[in-house]
Amino acid sequence: MFFLKELEKTIQLHPSYFGPLIRSHIHRELLTKEEGSSTGKFTIVCILDSFEISDGQVIPGSGYAEYIVHYKAIVWRPYKGEVMDGVVTSVIRSGFFVDCGSLQAFVGRSMIPSDIKFDAAATPAQWTDNGEQVIEKGTNIRIKIKGLRSEVDKMYAIGTMKEDYLGPLQT
Amino acid sequence: MKLRSPPGLHYPITVVELAKQRDQDITRSSPLFTYYYESVVTEGNKYGETREVKKRFPAKFDCSTDGIIGEWFIKNGTVIHGSGVDLVEIEEPCTHEIQFGSLCANCGRDMTEVDYLTAERNVDRATINTTHDNIALLVSQKEAVRAEEDSKRRLLGAKKLSLVVDLDQTVIHTTCERTIAEWQADPENPNYEAVKDVQGFQLADDNVAHVAANWYYVKMRPGLEDFFDRVSTMYEMHVYTMATRAYAQAVAKIIDPDGKYFGSRILSRDENYTDKLKTLHRLFPTNTDMVVIIDDRADIWHYSDNLVRVPVFNFFPGAGDINASFLPKQQELVTSTAKSILPAPSLPTDSIGEEGETSNPFSVAAKPTETVLIETSNGVLTELEQQLISMSSGDSPEVLEQQVKEQEKVIISQQIERPLLQKQLLLDQEDEAAEESELAVETENGELQSSEHHKHRHSILHDDDRGLDVIEENLRRIHRTFFDEYQRKKTGAQGGRIAELRGEKSPKKRSLEEFVPDVKVLMPRMKREVLGGCTVVFSGIIPLGLDVQFSDFALWIKSFGAEVSLNVTRQTTHVIANPDRKTTKVKRAARYPHIKIVNADWMFQCCTRWERVDETPYLIEVDAAERGGSPFGNLEDEDIAVTGDEDGDNIDEAESPVQLDMSDEKWQSLGDEFQDFMDESEDTDNGSDSDSESVHSEAGALAESKSGKKKRKRTTGSTDVSDAEDSDASVNSTSRLQRRKKRVLERVTSLTNVVSADKSSGLPSPETTGPEEGQADEDGKNDIVANPGVGDLEEDDEIGAELLAGFQNSDSDGEGDGEE
Repeated sequence: MFFLKELEKTIQLHPSYFGPLIRSHIHRELLTKEEGSSTGKFTIVCILDSFEISDGQVIPGSGYAEYIVHYKAIVWRPYKGEVMDGVVTSVIRSGFFVDCGSLQAFVGRSMIPSDIKFDAAATPAQWTDNGEQVIEKGTNIRIKIKGLRSEVDKMYAIGTMKEDYLGPLQT
Repeated sequence: MKLRSPPGLHYPITVVELAKQRDQDITRSSPLFTYYYESVVTEGNKYGETREVKKRFPAKFDCSTDGIIGEWFIKNGTVIHGSGVDLVEIEEPCTHEIQFGSLCANCGRDMTEVDYLTAERNVDRATINTTHDNIALLVSQKEAVRAEEDSKRRLLGAKKLSLVVDLDQTVIHTTCERTIAEWQADPENPNYEAVKDVQGFQLADDNVAHVAANWYYVKMRPGLEDFFDRVSTMYEMHVYTMATRAYAQAVAKIIDPDGKYFGSRILSRDENYTDKLKTLHRLFPTNTDMVVIIDDRADIWHYSDNLVRVPVFNFFPGAGDINASFLPKQQELVTSTAKSILPAPSLPTDSIGEEGETSNPFSVAAKPTETVLIETSNGVLTELEQQLISMSSGDSPEVLEQQVKEQEKVIISQQIERPLLQKQLLLDQEDEAAEESELAVETENGELQSSEHHKHRHSILHDDDRGLDVIEENLRRIHRTFFDEYQRKKTGAQGGRIAELRGEKSPKKRSLEEFVPDVKVLMPRMKREVLGGCTVVFSGIIPLGLDVQFSDFALWIKSFGAEVSLNVTRQTTHVIANPDRKTTKVKRAARYPHIKIVNADWMFQCCTRWERVDETPYLIEVDAAERGGSPFGNLEDEDIAVTGDEDGDNIDEAESPVQLDMSDEKWQSLGDEFQDFMDESEDTDNGSDSDSESVHSEAGALAESKSGKKKRKRTTGSTDVSDAEDSDASVNSTSRLQRRKKRVLERVTSLTNVVSADKSSGLPSPETTGPEEGQADEDGKNDIVANPGVGDLEEDDEIGAELLAGFQNSDSDGEGDGEE
């Protein structure tokens, strides 16, 4: 789910950047460092334009200046029970892996409807019901998050396909 | 799951009442039963008196898991005396057999949670990784076995085995030198033909080499596509490489663009947990019966029985394996067929070019095996340093850092120094010189030579590797043997099947286990037949300081059924020797006609082709004088006895880590000069008694070189003979070894003078270091005799005199030999 969230970030700036363009330097630093990063709880998708920069403070000993920046960003946080779309990255015998943005999810065999079977002989390997449902690398798929765990900068999810309207998306 | 009484309770405890009955649901942390325990406490009363009282405390036992109650092993009133007693069987709704990132893939629960009830962490239930491209997915032992049974059945149905394929230097060779791109763009270049199918790629996340946009150039082993095509009908192929994931995928895209051979079965360093070893259990955790490996290195597989060792594919000379800095250092091989890799700028005679060409077809399959030292591009590391490094290589971060740096260094040196370009330039120079000299020859002799031969520039790259044919043949044989055996067992068991059916065991369960042969048994059996009954002695092959029995070569040849012994004895059938050097072992072996003295190529051929190759083309010529007319001929038996008694001469000749890099023409010119010298001195020497056999050897050499056959090895004979002497000295204590090494090191400095005197490249060569260290080890016996010769060397700059000195050396050594 997407949220608008107020965040705070401390940025250290090298003395060579001190000058009239200092604000744009801070802006750039913020964008490159923060956008797309994951905190383990959520991913920062997009930083909005308006933000406040505190007065800079030179750190004794290094010459770097430290700024505290308050900004608003669109963040994304997956929830247990959430339905999301993703792309299949790898298909194995015990299930398949799905990338949903920054989240890697695994759909195990027990989470796949029993009429869809693993076909190791096919190249590339695929899960298929021998009808129109084919899951192979690159397939767009809709899954529901069954379990979620976050580490320092990474999130893991278990997905399921065993409910109505879940599964490969027709393109 | 069976619940047992946990440690940490106040035993003995007495069960009061069971809270749940059979088949009832229970949730985690709800009470399972109540119990009481007794304890002695100190009680005080209102008068201030204290006394010890035994009291009963009631308590509840909480269930540590969800599920349905199965069988109770306790009942009301049971006394439990300690931990580990069975309490109850609980049927769990999910046994968490597959876990992804510590989440159960079946129920989605977090497995890392630990609380007061946790007896065994849930994450420990699934610890096996069977996935190629993901380290987050783990399965339990049970699940792994199930998966493997499945794939086994599938593979047997398809009549396939599993094949684990290594990338670098097995099926491809990669370099980072951008010279390749330039050659590719230039159809005029002599290397154009060889490099035109080389494919390049860049890695986006290449932070290893801190060099932006590093290009990798991949050369496929000739015939790779057809090889894959044919082998994929017999094998299901997996990639297992020590390179990074990005690199492995990029290479896979080149060798298998459609993904039909490997699919996603690619395992790289990133998923291997360790960068020191490859192990089959990473991919096949429970059963490796149907797995075959092809790799150019056996040590990182711990000489696994599943391994088919293949000749190294070394297309870009000197490039080595760019991903090898993470691997343990390879035991260095002393290469026998030292081709002129670094041609010294000198006067080439035109037969050299021919020689280089003609020797090629002979060493086609062997060529890859003569591993150019992996670290050649690093250049500065001596053998000793490398050993130190390999000894200290633990898993410490410093080592890792060092390895990363080393890899970086290799890559950068390839980028900046561009060894290939340098070599090609040298070769071009040489070609030009050759052409000039040829012109001179033509005008002199006035006869027409095949001048078109020299019209094209020589190329440094040779696109003539045929290693894959050999590999394919081996794989085909394994496949055939395996399924023949399988079929035989299956039909053989058919008859007994009825009895089996009548009997107790379910035949279906047994069938798979019994019918499927084990590659680990079949392959060694096939291999042992190749050289069974051979007893092999290495001489001048294995570097000093290594335990011969555990050296790479010995382990390799032993896996083919040959026995390796340290000394030449009656049982010896082959002596594998360095053709450039006449060691004592060779001389001793030469007295027995049944012992075949061969070069290392013979061994490579046998071990790569899996058949006993005819020795004839690999025989090292031993002169008739040494064969028959040896004055020690009548001492034969005594001699043997002596050899047997000599304690383990387990260390071979001293090897200088630096290869002798004299070009062929250098040898030739040396040989010519020597010949002249010999012509002069022959009369006088021949007249004297023939008690020095080296005289004979030289005379023989003379005759041969006269007869047009170029035997450059022979010309070095005189110095080599004495070099061999140290192999006689029994060195079994390390202190002795160290002393010797020290001595060798001390001597190297003074010897460089000698080498520069004969105008070679200025590097100390094993040949020249030979005599001194040899004598040093003769327990001082020969020191007095030998020293004058050395003195001569230093005093006189003239080549003739130097050769005379060498001549004297061998002379005195001949005597020394006699004394023994």
